[in-house]
Amino acid sequence: MRTAVVASDRGSKEAAVRLVLVSCAGLVLLTTVAMLLFLGHAGLNGIREVGLVPLLSGLLWKPEADTYGGLPLIFGTFVSAAGAIVVGAVPAVLAALWTTELAPRSARSVYRRTMEVAAAVPSVVYGWLALVYLVPQMEKVAHHLRGEGATGGEGLASAAVLLGIMIAPTVLLLSLDSLSRVPSALRDASAALGASPWQTATRVILPGGWRGIVVAVFFGFARAAGETMAVQMVIGGARKLPENAFTPTTTISTQIVMDMQNARPGTPGSNVLFAMSLVLLVVSVVVVLGTRWLTRGRRTA
Amino acid sequence: MTGLVDARARRAENGPLEAAATSPRLRRGMRSGRLLEEVLGRLLATIAIAIAVLYGGGLLYLVAHGGSRLVAFTSFATPLSDVDGEDIMRFVLAGGIFAALAWAAGIVIREVVARVRGGASRSADRVAHVATGLAALSGALAFRDHLPRFLISLPSETRAGGGIGPEIFNTVYFAFLSTLVTLPVGVGAALYMARFAKQRRFVAALRMALDTLASLPSIVYGLFGFLVFVVEMKLGYSLFAGAIVLAILNLPLMVGITEESLRAVPRELEEASLALGATPVQTALRVTVPYAWPGILSALVLTIGRVFAESAPLIMTAGTTVSRGTAYSLDPFRGGETLAVHLWYVNSAGLAPDRVDVSAGTAAALVVLILLTNVLATRLARFGGAAGTRMRRATR
Repeated sequence: MRTAVVASDRGSKEAAVRLVLVSCAGLVLLTTVAMLLFLGHAGLNGIREVGLVPLLSGLLWKPEADTYGGLPLIFGTFVSAAGAIVVGAVPAVLAALWTTELAPRSARSVYRRTMEVAAAVPSVVYGWLALVYLVPQMEKVAHHLRGEGATGGEGLASAAVLLGIMIAPTVLLLSLDSLSRVPSALRDASAALGASPWQTATRVILPGGWRGIVVAVFFGFARAAGETMAVQMVIGGARKLPENAFTPTTTISTQIVMDMQNARPGTPGSNVLFAMSLVLLVVSVVVVLGTRWLTRGRRTA
Repeated sequence: MTGLVDARARRAENGPLEAAATSPRLRRGMRSGRLLEEVLGRLLATIAIAIAVLYGGGLLYLVAHGGSRLVAFTSFATPLSDVDGEDIMRFVLAGGIFAALAWAAGIVIREVVARVRGGASRSADRVAHVATGLAALSGALAFRDHLPRFLISLPSETRAGGGIGPEIFNTVYFAFLSTLVTLPVGVGAALYMARFAKQRRFVAALRMALDTLASLPSIVYGLFGFLVFVVEMKLGYSLFAGAIVLAILNLPLMVGITEESLRAVPRELEEASLALGATPVQTALRVTVPYAWPGILSALVLTIGRVFAESAPLIMTAGTTVSRGTAYSLDPFRGGETLAVHLWYVNSAGLAPDRVDVSAGTAAALVVLILLTNVLATRLARFGGAAGTRMRRATR
């Protein structure tokens, strides 16, 4: 930081502007570090009070009885996010491949604009739509599969479908970007060798753009795992492991937002929530590192 | 699918002709390969089109379904309630709605005039701007008491007939408050990274920090804001806390796009400026930033779209209630919910019997706001580069 200031010798105004710019950058860094420190501090307190193993493997989450077993939360988070990848990310990647390679040229920009808007729609809106239209359908499916006595449609199945619908536009747009960044010289060369559009798409474009697609799916997973309000509306909120995909359960973020309103700050009940948020933190750090590893040597957007 | 079978049958009929030219084995390979390709290609197309129809149709449905609650103008005047600031809010809201309508109409008229006369004229543009402003003003004056009741009344937790007036105000106010932080800090950090950074280590750390911020789930921001502002600083649920958290949440997006558009500024322009004796700081502030301004603005509009959409961090920092006394107050240290939070709250904790209608209306208002920001961001991005008005002014 000092060098930046010393290097400017053309008056104090110049130095002042540089100082402002550096401090803006420093503020960004400082905020990130402060955030990680605050969360880490409270989270580690929570881990110390409950113990790491009970917190990660306990089967019952019951703040009233000071029982904090986080396994149902972690299970719900990861299973619903993995379901979202199956429901949402796979069709999105296929659709992206079609859009960049096989679709008529005129359809591409329209497709893109639609997806940009769909990606910007608030997740609560998706959650509300799922609550009104998806959950009753899931209830019918549950009755069909498990007899009339089965519980309602709230549960992992609804959450996975909702999250899949929610992340599909994001995954699609990121995959589109990555596929369209493959140099068109490769496309022309492949066509000149007599390859059909399909052969070009699967043997030239996909191998060229797969890293970007993996990154897109990573981000989709992180977004699905971190989603809060939309999932809260359809998951049911039972704080135990579900018997099947149609029984209510919970996720980390759902439990954080529901319990935080009752927990007094500084008590174990509040600290364990921070400890659970560290799990989400680990997921996003893994995503960042994975992305960096996959795109090393290239500039990412 | 029947088309496919037909095609196969046709090809089987034509078989003998082709067989004369190529060996049977090669022919079979080619044919089955082509058929497979066709099937897979159609499968992909079906998936892609189904996705597009699902989202496009869903958006249209949302706007149309909830819009019936939004658009209907009440023919009788809604009496002003005793809530502070409601008259101003009504005026501004009516002005906004009519400005948007007049703007859309203006675009259509200008297109038509340009088609008829061939080429747009600058004076016609100016007339159109003035007309838009006048239409907004007169519409606001004439219809401020005839706005849809839903848009201007207070929400109700238990009884039917609640509105979203304060929620609209809070949503826009949040966008303003968080922009106060996002714009200067984001542009400053991006300018530093694009033009002034000397130490690679610092920049690498900065990039790592931004990547981490970008991938954190929003609930984590909520926890941080809750811990720092609500608990440690004892501010309670407040707009201030929510706005700061949203600003931090938006920094990666803002810095990322701004840096990209700063780096896209042609090097020759800056070199010309430096050659004329301008210092690097003068060059950055008077050439680089003005040239990249449309890109910066479009980044800003995108961040505003996220402010409209975010709910979890706001629930934890700004609360889920609207109090009658401070519904339209400009005091940033009061609590308040946005449209997105309201949509969640009505469905999970509200007891109002008409919550399906309220949700539909809220969702429609939210989607319309998001659509507007998206259109605005695209238009701004198109104004970038040497054709932009800012650039004309900067290089004059």
